[in-house]
Formats: sequence, structure tokens, C-alpha cells
Amino acid sequence: SFPGERKEEELEAPAGGKSPGAKAAAGGWAWGVVLHFFLVNVLVMGMLKTFGIFFVAFQEEVGGSSEQVSWIGSIMSSLRFLGAPLVAVVCRKLGERPTSVIGAGLVAGGCLLSTQATSVPFLCASMGLLLGMGFACLYQAAAVMTAKRCRTRLAFSNAIARSGMGLTFLIAPFTQLLLDFYGWQGTLLIFGGIMLNLVPSSMLLRAVSTQPPRHSSAKNPDHGSSMAKEDSETLDGCLDETTPREIQLCSAQDLPTTEGAMTPHGRDVSDLANTSASEGFEKPPVDGGSPGIAKRSYTSLPPTKKENSQPLLDFSPLKDPVFGIFTWSFLFSHLAYFVPIFHLVARARTLGISSMDASYLVSVAGITETVSQLLSGWVADQNWTKKYHYHVAYLVLGGVTNLLCPLATTFPLLMTYAVAFAVFCGGFMALVLPVLVDLVGVQNLHSYLGFAAFFAGLAAIGGPPLAGWLYDYTQTYVCSFLFAGACALISPISFFFEPSAQKWKLKKANL
Amino acid sequence: QFYKLLLGVSGISVEKNITLDSATRIELSCRLDDKHFHFKSVQVTWKRGNETIRHINKTENSWSIQLTILDNSKLGSYNCTLKGEQELSAVFHLQVPKIEGKEKAIVSYEGDTAVMICKSSGHTPIAWTWYMTNGSEQIAINDSLLADKYAINRMSANVTHLKISKLTKEDGGVYWCEAAFELGKSKGKLKLKVLSIMVPLKPFLAIVVEAVILVAIVFLCEMYSKKRAKRA
Repeated sequence: SFPGERKEEELEAPAGGKSPGAKAAAGGWAWGVVLHFFLVNVLVMGMLKTFGIFFVAFQEEVGGSSEQVSWIGSIMSSLRFLGAPLVAVVCRKLGERPTSVIGAGLVAGGCLLSTQATSVPFLCASMGLLLGMGFACLYQAAAVMTAKRCRTRLAFSNAIARSGMGLTFLIAPFTQLLLDFYGWQGTLLIFGGIMLNLVPSSMLLRAVSTQPPRHSSAKNPDHGSSMAKEDSETLDGCLDETTPREIQLCSAQDLPTTEGAMTPHGRDVSDLANTSASEGFEKPPVDGGSPGIAKRSYTSLPPTKKENSQPLLDFSPLKDPVFGIFTWSFLFSHLAYFVPIFHLVARARTLGISSMDASYLVSVAGITETVSQLLSGWVADQNWTKKYHYHVAYLVLGGVTNLLCPLATTFPLLMTYAVAFAVFCGGFMALVLPVLVDLVGVQNLHSYLGFAAFFAGLAAIGGPPLAGWLYDYTQTYVCSFLFAGACALISPISFFFEPSAQKWKLKKANL
Repeated sequence: QFYKLLLGVSGISVEKNITLDSATRIELSCRLDDKHFHFKSVQVTWKRGNETIRHINKTENSWSIQLTILDNSKLGSYNCTLKGEQELSAVFHLQVPKIEGKEKAIVSYEGDTAVMICKSSGHTPIAWTWYMTNGSEQIAINDSLLADKYAINRMSANVTHLKISKLTKEDGGVYWCEAAFELGKSKGKLKLKVLSIMVPLKPFLAIVVEAVILVAIVFLCEMYSKKRAKRA
């Protein structure tokens, strides 16, 4: 152990000179990840939104009632969320890049297979199932990779990636054009090809490079070469402008993880153990305190041993009160988000506003939401206060706006409501992922995000029928907005319990 | 059945479309809007084309004609003209129900099956006939003669389907669905476009090639940066 420590000390100085270069390379790849996430958002959301255009074509040619055809769309959009826990398992086993490539392959394959469809159940399976699971894979891998790569500017990067959803309005006329030219089969064929473009962008999801000088639990540098073969992807980041000796160190620090199962995120485990020891510690001072670093890495050993005996399908998030807090808020905020969107245009119509003006409302709301996402992400990244405080603030303001909506009875007032709602919605949507990362850390992100997405999927499935039922029951759209406002106000309540939940967790960990 | 039109502003012609599918008796009436006009002497003429029809002066300000429509010859445009200080007129268009075809072409592929749908809104036709356009001629489609190629199904009272199997390029073009009513016939136009599979396949292959090239570029970048790191 001592020779390893000394080696680390020797390498501190040259490593200090190299790390800006390594950081620059890491920064470049981080933008690549954001680009991929952006593309995923554009294509996935675009596909989901344009399903409505395919709906008509399917009904005419393949036959089937309106209800049957709409099942395809429901399966597609709900599997995207419900498949997340399963995808989380796959991600942890294989790594993000293979999962993403598999996801892209599933989507492209689903599209191509659907061109041969002759009946609605066939389409349900080929389009609904394959595309839904593919989307889930893509989304999960991209989201977690963004969280892992963009540590310092997570909220802003997340917001940039999410702004891809704002571009989806271009896809609808494009789809219509393709449908007119090639028919629905040709259009699906071309969409399959476009989705194949996600394969090269998935390749940008290189596994995270942790900065080598920070960790050393080096026991036996000679084992380095064998480690290198098993974990070549995670080493890639390390290899950006590092010396051969540092390569040995990089591989050597994987040693503690061989006690348990060798998982690709084993290194992230040791990484997080170090970061949890020094809270919020993003860029370590490379020159100072190398003995201190060595000490910290020793204390990291027992936790890494424990961590690696995690079962593959990890239900621990369900027992975690922090997860409960987050999911409660996530569920209600998603309900509050979906319902007004569905009913805004209808409400405008009942107030006598023409459909042209109503569609203006929707477009303005969309643009405002995108802009507000970017702003909110940037503001949150400035770290003036904890991110979930912003999240709570946006939710409360959004809830209040919704409760005031019934007072909006003319076009200008409704436009004001739409803009305000879009601002607050964009604000809190952009912060969902950063808040989760703040609460649970990057290491467990896969399982937490998987289950959180699962519950969001339940909300997404239940939301529209619930909204429809509300309208049928009360015969007015006012109730849906009041309901959405109430949901938005209920959802941040759970965050008040966050400090006490963290204390409870620490107590449990120390026991 | 009774139809009425109100004569108002001079210069603007008032019109009404009346759809009839079976033999019936109708009454068409023109009324002068007495809020705006008080003509001292009025001369009213009801005409269909050049033919004048005798009318009845029902009330002080309305004039009507009664018609028994038995066949196609009685359909057309009936015109009532009012001459006083100003000249006002109104037109009633008596027609058979219109059949809606499709404005956009139906796109299908060679070897595939295409279904063309024609609907009649509201009125039930006695019979449906499908026509294919060959050059400038319209040829009726006989589905018993070419049973494995064409199939005509009357899905419901107002809807008819033409199913064409084993499409070839020559099957593309304009099709007509004709509905026969008691009072006449009415046609709807549909367009069929038959594409070969190569047509969408070319852009697809182009995109696939582009994706493969991008994969290769990313891969090469990675190998390059690995080599650079190893050398350094």
C-alpha cells in the first residue's frame, strides 16, 4: 500500500499540469453528451407528438376503431416511463453507451418493422412496444450520462437538452410532407433511418472520466493491465492525456471493486464515496493535501465493498425517504403539468376565442417555456441557494397561477396566464433532474431515476383520462385548472421534510 | 318541403343549395325584406334558365312556386327576380347529393393492396359504380370479371370500398365513384399513386450511409485520442 501512495505523490505535480488539458477534453465530451440528449429529446418527443398524424393514416389503411389505434400511442408514451426501472438495470450492467445504442436500434427496428404492419395488434407490438422500450433506453442513458458528465453546470445543460422539445413543432409539418409524398409506410421507413442517426450520437456517451490524482486505493499496480481489459470504457476518459503510470493508477484503483462484482460504475462508486466525504467538492485542489487524499481513499474502501454487493434490480430507492419525497413531488407536479396543456385550447374555445388565436396561445407558451427552462437552469447553476428551493418556488407560483386561471376570461388575460404558466413550468421542469441528483447523488442515479420515471409514467397514463373525467363530471374546464393548481401546491409540501429526511438517513448510516 | 330566401341588399345575389335524393314536392319562396324596402310597384319573375314559371303571390311580400321533382330534368337553378325601384334576385340550386372524394392522393406501393373509400353524406344511394380512367375514357370496374384484382364492398348504406390488390404502376391514376340516386347520379374523384419500393428506399439508404459515416468518424476520433494519450 505504501509504494502505491508514494507513486501517487510523485505523480501529483505532473498531473497538476495535465489536468487543465484533461478537463478541456472532458468538457468537450460533456458538450457531446448534451448534444446527444438534445437530439434524443427532439426525436423522441417529436415522434410521440406526431403520432397523432399517423393516427389518421393508420385508421384508414390498417383498419381498427379509433380507440384501438390510440392504444398504440398510449403504449408508446407510457412504456417510455414504465420501462425505466428495467432499463436502469440494463444500464448498470452494460453501461450507458451500449444501452443507448440498443435503444436507438430498438427504435429504428421498430419503425422498420412497422412498415410491414397489417393489423392493429401488430402495430401495437412493433410500434408501441419496441419504440416505447427504445425511447426508455435512450432517455435513461442520456439523462444519467448528462448528470455524470456535467457536474458543475447540470441544470443549464439539462435545460439546453430539454429545449430540444421546443423544436418538435417543426417535425409535424415535416411528417405531413413525407406522408403526402411517400405514404405512411415510406414515412416510417425514413423515420427509421433518422432514428438510426442516434447511434453515432450515442457513441458520444463515453463513460465518465474521474480525475486520476484524486483516488488511490492502489494496492497492487501490477494488476493494472488485467483490469484495463475488463473496464476499457471507463478507462478511456482516464486516458485523455495521461501518462502510462497514471494508466496503471487508474486501473489500479479499480482493485477494491474486485472484491465484489465488477461493475462498470464501480469507479463511480469510489468517486462518489470521495465526494460525499467532501461535500460538493467538484474540482479537487490537485497540489494540496495528498496525504489527506490517501487517507480519504482508505475510508472509502469499506463503503465500496458494501456498494458492490448491490443486487441487480435494486429496490432500495423504494425504502429511501428521500426518494419518497422526490416521487411525491414529481408525481403531483407532472399531473399539474399535463392537465392544463390538454385543456388550454379547449378552454380558449369555450370562451369564444377562435382556433387561430388559441394556437397562438400554444405556440407562445411553448417558446416561453423553452426560454424559461434555459434561464432557470442558468440561475440554478449559479448556486446562490439549494436547487430545490427554486423548484419549490416555481411549483408554488405555478400552483397559484393555475388557481387564478378561472379568472382569465378574455384573450389578453388568457395569454398572460399561458405565459406565466409556461415560465413557471419551464422553471420547474428544467430542475427535476438536478434536484434528483442533489438529493441522491450520481452513483445511484440509475435506479432512482428508473423508479421515479416509473411513477411519472403512472401519472402520465392517469393524467389525461382523469382530466377528461373531470370535464365530463363538471362540464367546465375550470375544474381542471383548479385541480392542476391544487396538485402543484401539494407537490412541494414534501420538500419541507427534506432536511429531516437527510438527518434520518445520516443517523441510519452511522448506526 | 318548404324553402325560403330573404331578398335584401341590391347587388348581392342570395343563393341556397338544396340537396334532393328522391322524388318529392317542394315549395320555393322569395320574400322581400320589408324593413328595408317598400317598393310601390313590384314585378316578380320566376325562371329556370329561359323558362318562366308561374308563381303564386302568397302574402303581400312573398312569392313562391310549387314544384314536383320526379327526375333529373327538373333539377337545376331556379331564379326569382324582383323588379321595383331596384332589382333584387335570389337563386335556388336543386341538386343531387354530392359525393366527396379525396383531394390528396392515396399513396401505395407495388404489390401492395390499396383501399379507396367513398362516402355519401346523409343520403343513401341506390347503387355505387366505380370507374377507372384510361387516358380520357372512363371504364367501369367489373369486380366479378377480375375478382382477384378488384373487390367492391358496400360497407354500409352510405359507404363503399374499392379494394385493389397486387398493385402495379399502371393502376395509378384517377378513379371515380359514382352514386346513383333516384333523381340522378353524382361522382366523386379519387387519386391513386403507386410507387415502387425504391422511391423511399433511396433516401433511407442515404441516411443509413450518413449514420454509418458518423459512427466511423466518432470511432476514429476515439482511436486517435487513445493513441495520442498512449504516445504522450
